[in-house]
Amino acid sequence: MATLSRYLLYLYPATHRMEFGEEMSEVLRERQSEFGKRGALARWILSGREMGGLLQGAAQEHLRAAKGLYSWEEFPIRRIRMRTEFRFPKATPVLMTVILGAVVMAIEKARAIQLSVPPSHQQVPPIQSANFTVLPSFALLFVMGCVVGAIAWAVAYALRKSGVQRLEELKAGRKL
Amino acid sequence: MAFDDMSYEGVWKLEPLSEAVLLILVSLAEQPRHGYSILKNVEEMSDGRVTLSTGTLYGALRRLLEDRWIERFKEEESSRGRQAYRLTARGRQILRTEVGRLKHLTKLASLRMAPKEM
Repeated sequence: MATLSRYLLYLYPATHRMEFGEEMSEVLRERQSEFGKRGALARWILSGREMGGLLQGAAQEHLRAAKGLYSWEEFPIRRIRMRTEFRFPKATPVLMTVILGAVVMAIEKARAIQLSVPPSHQQVPPIQSANFTVLPSFALLFVMGCVVGAIAWAVAYALRKSGVQRLEELKAGRKL
Repeated sequence: MAFDDMSYEGVWKLEPLSEAVLLILVSLAEQPRHGYSILKNVEEMSDGRVTLSTGTLYGALRRLLEDRWIERFKEEESSRGRQAYRLTARGRQILRTEVGRLKHLTKLASLRMAPKEM
């Protein structure tokens, strides 16, 4: 895991690696030795978070290198703005009204064409109602519910386990 | 978003700092620190609630360096000569303003939430 994390540093642009690469390797080494003292599950979760952070960071740095400058969204120093004004551009409602008008006109035109065409002599058979079977549908829903429930339980169990472990560590730390 | 207006009003007009950045600045306000020390200190200050990954930390540090809120220097005390970070005057002023903003909000909330005397 430690080696993999260090390899992930190669995903960063060369300029970033030159500036921060050595420091980041050092921090990763210290992080891994810290994770080694924890349980297996916590170690996996924390290592996964580290790798995710590295992947995200590398992607952001490449974006920045491609654009030539950083943008506010890459690493938001400040909180995301709450916009009080109208969320869409002002032209959007106008455009939507024009589109709605065009759709209504198209429906009217289609109706006019339908009326202008003489009816064919061929008889259309009556439409049969679809057979709806209740039992298989309920069975399918039940199975899907079980699968979703099992996944949710597994996630909650993993979170609880890591949370309990962290709480215990915190308590142990406070006792010392 | 580069920050050039250093007046109190200028800083006040900006949006509040994100929690991660605020904690990094608070961590450096006490003393200069190197990367791992910042990570640990942020975790301690937030009681383990804010855990920065190495990638996220260095993204933030790079951004703060570019905005000149912090600066980098070589630790002389360390045998390895590690790079450490400290707040600049600009960073300290921004932190002071942010703390002022938070104090103002806390005071306002406390006044509004206090039970009214009959």
